[in-house]
Parts: sequence; structure tokens; C-alpha cells
Amino acid sequence: MTEHMSRGMDRRDFLRKLGVGTAAAIGAGYTLSVWEWSGPAGAAVVRAGDLGDPKGRTLVIVEMGGGNDGLNTVVPISDGRYHDLRPTLGITDAIDLDGEVGLHPKLAKLAKRYKQGDVAIVHGLGYDDPDLSHFGSFGIWWSAKGGSGGAGWLGTYLDGTVGFDDPLAAINIGPGRAPALLGRESFATSIADDTGLQPNLPSWIDAADTDSSVVDELMTAWSNFEPAHVDTSAIVGQVQRAIALTDEARDQLSKSLDDSARHASAPPDDATAQYRERSVTDSLDLAARLIKSPAKPRLIYVNSIGDFDTHQGEAQRHPALMEQLDAGIDSFFTSLGKAADDVVLITVSEFGRRPAENGSGTDHGTANVHFVVGPSVKGGRYGEQPSLANLDKNGNLVHTEDFRRLYATGLKWLRVDDSSLVLGEDFKSFPVFK
Amino acid sequence: MSDPRVVASTVSTQERISHVVRRLSMGAHPDVVAGLSSTDDAIARALDLSAPAPTLPPMTPPTSYKDAKVLDIVSTIAWWIEQMRASPRLIEERLVWFWHDHFATSIAKVRVPYLMHQQHGTVRAHATGSFADLLHAMAKDPALMWYLDAQTNRTGQINENFGRECLELFTMGIGGGYTQQDVVEASRSFSGWVVNLRGTRFTDRLERFGIESWQSGFIPPRHDSGEKELLGQRGAFDLDGALDVILDHPSTARFVAGKLYRELVGLDADDDTRKRLGDSFARDWSIMGLVESIVTDKAFTSAGAVRSRVRTPVEKLVGIVQAGGDTPLQVGGGGQGRRGRRGGAGNPVGQALRTIGYIPFVPPNVGGFPKGSLLLGPQQLVHTFDLLSALQEAPVLPAGKDGPDDVLARLGLFDVAKATRRVLEKESDPARRFALAAMSPEFAVT
Repeated sequence: MTEHMSRGMDRRDFLRKLGVGTAAAIGAGYTLSVWEWSGPAGAAVVRAGDLGDPKGRTLVIVEMGGGNDGLNTVVPISDGRYHDLRPTLGITDAIDLDGEVGLHPKLAKLAKRYKQGDVAIVHGLGYDDPDLSHFGSFGIWWSAKGGSGGAGWLGTYLDGTVGFDDPLAAINIGPGRAPALLGRESFATSIADDTGLQPNLPSWIDAADTDSSVVDELMTAWSNFEPAHVDTSAIVGQVQRAIALTDEARDQLSKSLDDSARHASAPPDDATAQYRERSVTDSLDLAARLIKSPAKPRLIYVNSIGDFDTHQGEAQRHPALMEQLDAGIDSFFTSLGKAADDVVLITVSEFGRRPAENGSGTDHGTANVHFVVGPSVKGGRYGEQPSLANLDKNGNLVHTEDFRRLYATGLKWLRVDDSSLVLGEDFKSFPVFK
Repeated sequence: MSDPRVVASTVSTQERISHVVRRLSMGAHPDVVAGLSSTDDAIARALDLSAPAPTLPPMTPPTSYKDAKVLDIVSTIAWWIEQMRASPRLIEERLVWFWHDHFATSIAKVRVPYLMHQQHGTVRAHATGSFADLLHAMAKDPALMWYLDAQTNRTGQINENFGRECLELFTMGIGGGYTQQDVVEASRSFSGWVVNLRGTRFTDRLERFGIESWQSGFIPPRHDSGEKELLGQRGAFDLDGALDVILDHPSTARFVAGKLYRELVGLDADDDTRKRLGDSFARDWSIMGLVESIVTDKAFTSAGAVRSRVRTPVEKLVGIVQAGGDTPLQVGGGGQGRRGRRGGAGNPVGQALRTIGYIPFVPPNVGGFPKGSLLLGPQQLVHTFDLLSALQEAPVLPAGKDGPDDVLARLGLFDVAKATRRVLEKESDPARRFALAAMSPEFAVT
């Protein structure tokens, strides 16, 4: 173990010595076919240490992939045009918040928190020339840039804070890696469930052993695949670097998620679970445990929580999604207890949905409404609700606020006052904090 | 970051041969690689389709939609991975996977294994044939139609899901030169198609229209028969007519050619190459013709192409089972897994693929499976260990031929870093040495 720790120190020293522009990021070469990384990665925009310390705070991002229907989430109950556009899908029993808007009836717990003053509703978030492609628009949201590609916005934040020094500073909970967390000179951990980064070895390796020493020995050997000099201009070099950082993350994470906890939510015996997505409640329960652990992350990104792309069957599918979101957020803050004071949760999605329904669902839209939740939030409505009387040529909402103001708000929570270091321009945060 | 094309490294002939086999099939089968002496040999071997095509075993359709059991897809996955491991038609397996990723359809939404199984048969039937035929067939494939909501796309109530993804992902590509209006016009053209999911409340009515159980079919009154203007062409297009208009647009051939180039070469084609390959592809839509043009480009066997891609979890799985000799792969569902720290039931390989987010027939979305750096996250790297459970026992190498280089060769690896060799030399237990070789940085790329 001592040997392992000293190796970690060497690596950090080595990384510090690297000049700007020579360290290709583990995350720089996005080759996701639909979110092409355009050209050389170049240097990180900010360097580790530039952005300061959140001093114990955590920002949680919940991503609703597919495009959540904001109009059926925060319903414009006083606008008669809403029901004209949504003759069958319009919500008639929204939970009235202020006579003007209401929450979806399946968001009852969130409505209660809103009435307690812990929920900010932010209206009209979008950007110019809206991209109606999932992948095009996600590229814009993930990178926070006018174009797609490059580093993720939170990856840039990590570049400017912990760099490679703390692989548990940011944790993605979901089956894939969150592109928003991919930085040029930083490394975020990703876990699918509370087994953390503990591999299951085949029986022909560990049949004779019941303790975890075999795993530890193998993982130590594994981390030695990183040579003294890593050439990260080749992908194999990026893997060498990632292996060593993964081992470091595994080591720290196993201290945080003790054995008893690790067994707390083993996958259900129903093997069809392999073909289902995890629920937002599962993921946020794990988020709460990480926040209460010694290795408290400053960033948690929850994705793959359901299919919000409700072109069809929205009347059945969307309420179920709202119910899961409601349950997940509520149990998250409940289980955090007092620790919730240091936590803010923000929702994101690549776009909203078309105001006019298509008969059984809604097609891709533009501007959207999102939530900022937590005891530190000054509840209420922020931003301007887009008008249903003034739709664009495709029949979509016209955004009233740049979505990066939502990001600036999250960064503000992490005590980054000048959002331009991460977002390219200085976007004003919404004054949602007490 | 330097241009990967100018990486100054020497790549051995063996490694280049292995590279050709890896890229033109789903894994470098050690017996195949051992029998080849040059990259030209390897290309000729990989493109040889003279052996008979494997026959997909038939699957019995469920009695009704609600009786479908998602886990029945496991037998199709097992059969498929066996083809990836051992089919003599190497390029066919690469292309079948490529088209599954291209026309990504998930059983998580479709729910009926029979429909996914039938789609797999359709992909196989056209994988090495004509792209135009493949596109027309996939556009009427019941699983894909259901996945992209074709059944609710009707005149007056146009659902844009299939129309948009068809233009963006299946044909022209994002930025390929279509507009939102083209999405609407394509969707209007595609309207009127439905899928008969047996045992749902529409079944009887659909059967009266002559649409049999588990088939797709066209219902004229649901079709928007009006004139459309699609990509600058005017006409009362139907589904096939609109697809022909889309195939006519030069972006389609260039996009598909560029994507296949990236799959096989591992690098992005430059604009000239994409245009040259695409314009030639559009003349007859011959997929094998396109493959031949790509692999004869000298970039394909260049040092910069070798190990320029991240190896996918399915490619890792195939490489592991190939290295294990003729051990049958166990991906069976249900049942008791090995005593796991996870304490869960189910097959460990299935669990691993789930944890990594990479199960055949379960792409995360219509954009296909994650690629590149998205596969280099901690959980993807760590849980590669779990894929070793695909082997019932550690591969046994003959005495005296079980050193680090022998183990690496089983996995199709020839040129490795000193650090890699050192780790394997230090490990004296053969089973652990094999496991570590499969976890090496070199095996994580391809």
C-alpha cells in the first residue's frame, strides 16, 4: 500500500511538471460518432488551482436524457393557448403554485418543497439557433459552447480545480461516462452502482480465496501497467494513465463505500434488470451515501435515468418519469438530513419539447424549464417564461435566458464567481441562493 | 496533441497482421493470425466470403406482446458472439456489428426478443450486400419502426422521430445539409406504416388490413399522400420514394463511407477521401466494394492506424473467448451466478456488460454504442476483469510456451510496452497472468 501511495505521488509530481499543451487529456479525444471531437485538443483553458475550493459544497446534476417536456413539468396553467396546443396531453390537474404555473401532479413532493421555499424554477433556458438533434443539442449543453466537441463544461471546471490530483472530486453515476465531465487535464470517476470500482473476478482466479486480497494484489499489479513516462498523444498512453488513476479512485472509493453498504442494494434477482435502466432513486441514494462518506465529492452527475424522448405514448410515459424524478429528489434530500445544507441539485436536459402535440406525444423542442433544489436555495421562479403566442418557425418556444446562466448558478454554488473561466463568457448566475 | 497519423513508432509485421484481422472481424483469433504472413494475406483472408453464411436459428414468436420475455434475447446474443468468435466469414461479423450500431435499436423499448431476432436476420442478410437494400429493409423493420414510433406517425399527426433519426443518423449525417422542413417532409412520406404487435388492441384491425402478427405494414388511409418537397425534390413521396431521394443526395454515401472508414481504419477520413469513397459507393451501393476501397487505402495498414481506436467491451469479450480456445461462452441469463461480491443473480458476463453499459441489442440510445474516450472510464476499465468470467477456466498453454509473449499472442498482441511485459513477467501464476494480459493497456485499444 505504501508503495502504491508513493507511486501516486510520483505521478502527480510528474503531471505538475507537464507544461500546458503537452498533456493530452484522457477525455479529449471524444470519438462519439455523433459528438465528434473537432480537431486537436489544445491546451486546457484553465489550470488546476485557478478556480478555488468549494469548501465542502457539492453540486449534483441530474440529466434527463431525451428531452424532458418542460411544458408538462411546469405547466402554464393560466395560459389558454396551452390547452389549445395540447388537446389530449395537456395537464388539467397541475399543482397550482401561484395562479400562473403549476407542477405536474406527479411532482407532489417537489411541490411541497417548493412551498417550503427550497426549489427555484428557472424558465426559458436555451440558446440561439436551436439544434433539434439530441446529439447536436447535447453537444452544446455538455460543452457549454456555441459548437459541439471539446471538453465538457464540468471537465473544464475540474481542469481548473483538482486536475488529476483527486479522481473522486467528481463522480458520474450511470452506465456510461458523462461527456460533461470529460476534461483536458483532469479525471472524473464513473460508477454504475454501489459496487463502486470493485471487480468481480472469474472463479478460476479466486476460487481458493474468500477475502479480497486477490483483488488487491491484482489491482496493484494492474496499476503497474503505467510506465514511468506516459505518452498521452497515443490512445494507449491515455489508457495507461487512466488505469493508474482508476486504481487510485478504487482505493479511495472502497474506503468510502464499506462492505456492508456495498451489499445494500445488490441488483435484483430478476435478471431482466440487465435490460432496464436504473432508477433516479437508486442513483440519488448512492449520491447521498457518497456525500455522507469521507471522500465527499464536489460534483455528482447522474445520467441515464429514463427515456424522456416522448414522441409517443407520452400520456403514460411522462407521468411515470415525473413520479420517479419526484421520488428520487425527495428521498435524496431526506436521506441527506443536515448534510443537505451543503448540497444543491440542478436538472438539465438537451431540449424541451414541441408545444403542439403530435397526437400521442411531442416532438423535439427548444427552450426548457429547470429546477434548482436544496435547503440553501431561495425558492421561487426565475427567468422569464417563454410565450406560447410567440413560437419560432418550427412551432417551438423562443428562449428567454441563456442556458449557461444555469451553469453559472451551479458554478456560483461551487464558489466560482467568474464563470467566464469555465464558460468562455461571464454569464450571470440567477440569484437563487440565500 | 499531435496528429495520430504521424506517430513515429515501428510496428511489427505480426502486429500489423493482427491489426488487419481485428479491424476486419471482431477479434484477432490466434489461429487465424498464426496462419498469415503479410497484411495483404490478412486482408484477402478477412474479405473471403466463400464459406457458407451461418444460419440464424429460428426463434418462436411469443403468443402475445405481453407474454414476450426480454431475457429470451440471451440465446440470440450467445449465438451471435459465437459467430464473432469463430465464423470463417470475418468481414461479415465486423459489418453485422457495424450495422447494428448504425441502425441502433434497443430491446429496452422494443421489449420483444423475437422482433430483435428478426431484425438481426435482416441485418445479416444485407450486411455484405447493397446499402440501398439494407436501408429500405431496415426502414420497414418492425423493431426499428417500433423503436422510432413509426406506428403513431400518421397523416395530420406527424411524428418526427423516425424521419429525423433517418436523416441524421442513418443516411445524411448531422450537418449533412437537411433542414427541419426536410425532417417534416421525410416524416410525412414515411407516415402510414404500422407494426402488428400480436395481442394488443389493434391486432384484429391490422389483420383485416392483411398485416400479419409481428410484421410491419402500410395502411393507405394513415398515409399523408400529398405532395412533398424533400431535399429540393418535389413529389408525392411514400417511404420508398423518400428513401430514394435521400439516397440520391451526395451526403448520404459520403456520410456512410466516412463512418465505415472510421470503423475500419480508426482515423477520420479527410474530406477528399470521404468524397472519393462516397461518390464511388453511390454508384452501386456495394458494401463490399466500399470495404475494398477503404482497406486498399494505405492509411489502413499504416502505423498511425494501429491501435488508434478504443477496443469496445464486445470486442474485448470476443478476444477473450478466442484466446480461451474452444471453450463455449456462457452468457445465459437468469440462474445463480458465481458467488459474487455483488451478491446478485444472473450471469456474470451479462452483469459486466450491463455495468459497462454495453450489451448487444441494448444500445443506450439511437445514436448507438459509446465510443472512444467514453469507453475509458474507471468502471469500463475495472469491469473488464468481469468479462473474464466468459471463460469457464483459465486457458492452458503448452508447457514451455506459456511465457508472457505466448499469453499476449493468444490475445493477438505482439508489440507491447516494457512496463506491460514487466508486469506479466512478475506474475508467476498462469491464470492471473492471462487475466492481467487481458487487462493490459494494449488490449484496451485496437
